[in-house]
Amino acid sequence: MFELRGVDKRFDAVVALNNASLSVEPGEVHALLGSNGSGKSTMIKILAGLVNPNAGEILIDGNPVEIRNGYDSRKLGIATAFQDLSLIPTMSVRDNILLGNEPRNALGFVDQKASDEIINRLLERFQIDCDPDDYVQTLMPSTQTMLEVAKAVALKPRLLLLDEVTAALHYDEIQVLFSVMRELKEEGIAMVYVTHRMNEVFEVCDRTTIMRSGESVITGPMDDFSLDDIVYYMTGQRPDKSKKDVVHMHSDEGREIVLDVKNLSIFPKVHDISLRAHKGEIVGIGGLQGQGQPELIRAILGAIRYEEGEIIYDGEPSTLKSPSKAVKNGMGFISGERNREAIFPARTVLENILAGKVAKGKTFAYMPAKANRAFAQRAVDKYNIVIGSLNHPASSLSGGNQQKLVVARWIAMQPKLLLLDDPTRGVDIHSRLEIHEILKECANEGMTILISSSESEELLSLCDVIYVFYEGCVSAQLTGENKTPEKLVAAMMGMSEDQEIVSTMEAKA
Amino acid sequence: MSSTKSTLTLGQRSKLFMQKSPARMAFLIALVLYAITVMISPGSLNASAIGSIVMLTLLLSIASAGQTIVLIGGGMDFGVGAVMSSAAILTTTIMNSQDGRFFPLLFAALAMGATVGLLNGICTVKIGLPPLIVTMAISNVITRMQYVLTQGSPMGYASPSFIKSVTSKLFGLQFLPSIILYGLIIIPLVFYLLNHSRFGKQVYLLGNNPVAARLNGVNINRIQILTYVFSGMFAAFAGMLGAAYMNAARCQIFDEYAYNSLIAVIIGGTSFSGGVGTYTGSIAGSLVMVVLSNLLTAMGLAQPTRNVFMGLIMIVLLIFYNREKKVRQ
Amino acid sequence: MIDTLKNSFTRLRRSSFFAGFVLFIIALVLNAALQGPASFFSVKSINTLFAKNAAFILVAIGQSLLLIAGTMDVSCGIQLALVNVVTIMTHQVWGIPFALSCLLGIGAAVLASIAVWVCCSVFRLPALLASYAMTYVIRGVNVMIMSVPQGKVPKEWYMAYDSQLFGLIPVSFFAVLGVLLICRFARKTPFGSHIYAVGGNPRNAFAAGISPVKVQLKAFLLKGVIVGIAGLCLTLMIAAGNPLQAEDYGIRSLSACILGGLGFGGWGSVASAVFGSGFFVLIQNSVYYFFSLLVRLIPGFSVSSYWQNFVSDVIIFLGLLMTIVTAKGRQEVLREGIVRQFKRIDYRKSPKESEGKEVTTHE
Repeated sequence: MFELRGVDKRFDAVVALNNASLSVEPGEVHALLGSNGSGKSTMIKILAGLVNPNAGEILIDGNPVEIRNGYDSRKLGIATAFQDLSLIPTMSVRDNILLGNEPRNALGFVDQKASDEIINRLLERFQIDCDPDDYVQTLMPSTQTMLEVAKAVALKPRLLLLDEVTAALHYDEIQVLFSVMRELKEEGIAMVYVTHRMNEVFEVCDRTTIMRSGESVITGPMDDFSLDDIVYYMTGQRPDKSKKDVVHMHSDEGREIVLDVKNLSIFPKVHDISLRAHKGEIVGIGGLQGQGQPELIRAILGAIRYEEGEIIYDGEPSTLKSPSKAVKNGMGFISGERNREAIFPARTVLENILAGKVAKGKTFAYMPAKANRAFAQRAVDKYNIVIGSLNHPASSLSGGNQQKLVVARWIAMQPKLLLLDDPTRGVDIHSRLEIHEILKECANEGMTILISSSESEELLSLCDVIYVFYEGCVSAQLTGENKTPEKLVAAMMGMSEDQEIVSTMEAKA
Repeated sequence: MSSTKSTLTLGQRSKLFMQKSPARMAFLIALVLYAITVMISPGSLNASAIGSIVMLTLLLSIASAGQTIVLIGGGMDFGVGAVMSSAAILTTTIMNSQDGRFFPLLFAALAMGATVGLLNGICTVKIGLPPLIVTMAISNVITRMQYVLTQGSPMGYASPSFIKSVTSKLFGLQFLPSIILYGLIIIPLVFYLLNHSRFGKQVYLLGNNPVAARLNGVNINRIQILTYVFSGMFAAFAGMLGAAYMNAARCQIFDEYAYNSLIAVIIGGTSFSGGVGTYTGSIAGSLVMVVLSNLLTAMGLAQPTRNVFMGLIMIVLLIFYNREKKVRQ
Repeated sequence: MIDTLKNSFTRLRRSSFFAGFVLFIIALVLNAALQGPASFFSVKSINTLFAKNAAFILVAIGQSLLLIAGTMDVSCGIQLALVNVVTIMTHQVWGIPFALSCLLGIGAAVLASIAVWVCCSVFRLPALLASYAMTYVIRGVNVMIMSVPQGKVPKEWYMAYDSQLFGLIPVSFFAVLGVLLICRFARKTPFGSHIYAVGGNPRNAFAAGISPVKVQLKAFLLKGVIVGIAGLCLTLMIAAGNPLQAEDYGIRSLSACILGGLGFGGWGSVASAVFGSGFFVLIQNSVYYFFSLLVRLIPGFSVSSYWQNFVSDVIIFLGLLMTIVTAKGRQEVLREGIVRQFKRIDYRKSPKESEGKEVTTHE
């Protein structure tokens, strides 16, 4: 039995875990649930030896143990498949899987024969189709994720930690994963399963621990919980079904077309996609993660090249070669990959808000400090961003406020076309609603918005049209009556046998 | 600074102070080092000694102005020393002890610096080679060119009026060398560039997160190349002043400024990975470097011991400032 | 037959050291042509070439290990001088056998390496600056040990170094070959893949139970031994002591590695170092012969050695620009990998989506 007791962890001022506990029995799949930023990944990382807790203890079979690094973790029989993967992209599949666990021969060299055997067995078990000598960076994201899991299983652990591994997986891959998990369960291996997909939880998990803002709120058998219960424990509120936001609605008749994408192909992610956005319209792009949505948005922005097709922006074929030209022509881009693509963590709140204004205009022009401050202060006030001071680094803000900061940066610039790539990922529910309100308001004022999201509710409540992506193609285009959660989810899973959707799609095309 | 809580221990507090205001910390270190120097050799507390500290500090500050911009933008310029040496040789060759050739010289030196910077920038940005390697290779080429063009022994001297404009004492005060006047032009210029122009703000964004800066609409290639061009020009200007200070030039005369400027900038709190840093810090860092070297001279150490000390102190300073994050949090 | 040849050529083309290899071959051909093949391929000329440059090639090999492990050491050069002074002085002052002095020299290099490791890996300082600071320290130590150039090497030792085995293969060649064999064996141990993991992504290597600090220590130790051997080659070559020599080897070896196709951290192989440093050596040699050819052909033509240095540095710079080819090759590997994956997926799935293949033909 594996147990975490009373664990605390602070990252500088941010409390990631507060007296959190978790216990996992052999032969069970334990779901670790919670909204973004509730501390699930930190728990996993403590067990994996990547995070050093400030307080609390770890017990294995009742004996306290210490996990100081990845080696300790492995030695104690713990293996982890990380959300952001722990594969080394510049190394081969073979070297990655065996890393730190190489079979050796008598001379201390890596035993080629034994390692071939291990690799082939593993690839077969997980039905991964790749050459062991391929570099990992040449593999598809879903294949990489399967390798990440395979690598963990190859360690023959007693406790297997799976941190949001299904986010990038296809339907058939998830089924393979589940069947392996059931086999492991038979072998008496304990598993911790972190996910956002509730249907999966009910399908494979035996017990669950639900977390909210760093605390473990409740633990119990899966059967004791309904979906509503889980949402309640995760958010502290019962989902209120009666209250519905006013949907931003209007017809696109006679409105000017701001963006017209025709038969766009981007190797290897996007095949022959067409979509259209009118002035003042909110166009949604739905789909599971990694179906080509980010690529499409970046191609429109000019950040990546496309092979075929045409992008007509503002009535003219777009020849944008770089984001800087796109921004000059009135586009704005808000990324949900905050840390990588949007926030300048070491720079101040002020500078982060100004980033949009900084990008546009004469390079050596004077930027008056006073006007800048006023501009930033207005944005902070208007969009309710909670900050200590304009001079604090952006990294001092909470995730939700950071994202509002990025949104404010662009809204304040009043772009003609605003591109958003999963903008509310990892954002708390409150900030998310605020961002939604801001977007609706902007659309009403005539801004065109193209938003990609992995959350169905977000798209359904926000968008006039939803294009659903599946494996780089549009599997459905939902408008008006068709915009139902069922159809959206079906299209996201690539189940387009729903003739009605397909026919509407063809009619449009 | 007000957020410093009283519950912190002294060590934590000093660490916080250092992180929050490395420039002030560097000034403090310089002060302490200077105090030690005076204690060891009280004779060094005189106006002309202070004047020479001011002179060398400003020279290094001007040389490291470009380095600061480049490092903040996430690059690194190892050609500062070679450009300085070349500009110094240009100065003595063009002036050849005659007055009235300042502006042609200024034009030639800045053009040379800008060309080298442009080359550095294009090769790092467009070809994607590590800046360390590119700038080093290019500075090797210009160093060799110095020898080829001068046959190893540069001729001439800086013009008397130019020498005077750098080394004479303002108001007859020994501790105010007139290089300060040049400083009064360059330092505000750098502050304008870094803190008040759109360019500077773009440099900070670029250095802190290039991916985000690009997607945010910053033309990162252009900005990065520009940082190198500025670096080349500031280095060339510093080389001119250096020639006036030294009177004559020889090949590779200022080569050690490549590392010295880098270390001064780092001591001033500019992060090696870009996006963080101030020019005030670099000036403070330059002061530390100069005072440190004075101290080692005052201690009367033999050259080898001096080297060992210099190296060890640099390592200690680096430990204070620029440790990378631990893998485990 | 032709197919296998073609295959092995494609493999070579895709390898990380391809650009370095091409440059090396060009320099080799150039050198042979300028010097005259008969003279270039003579036992004497090859022997001189190896004897003179074994130290540099070895330093580049040592540097490449560090680069793969995600760190570097620009004080490698001055460490050669350290080995040199320790070897000479211990033999001269303490009167111990020269062989023992050699071991002490290697030991000194290993110690210096450990000191750099402490700064770079334990204190987590930027490797470039920390090892530059160490250059100062080691330079000081060198002069403390030996204030002015002096001393000599027993005659039988440097004679042996300058001789050929079986009258054909230079002894210095064996030093390089031995070190390469050690690297080859090390590659086949778990360390051989850990070093790539640590250089490629220290956090993920740590998660896999590998200690980046320990792996880098091993790399530094190995590098220390290699630099020690290189220092001995240098000592036997010049047969005297000099505390302030070879300092620029540190940085030049770095350039040689990058030129040969190594990246900073986790990418490339030791072969890159060999070809890169080989290119450096051969270009310098070629330029020398080029100018002496000019002198012979054009009556009255004379030129200083400054020109030779200038031309060879320009060529080296141009060679660096050539690495863009390596980058292209690497992109090609990536692209072909992705295409391969897609073909597999298409094969499994309905033929509807097999248009992925056509897309690939577009650049």
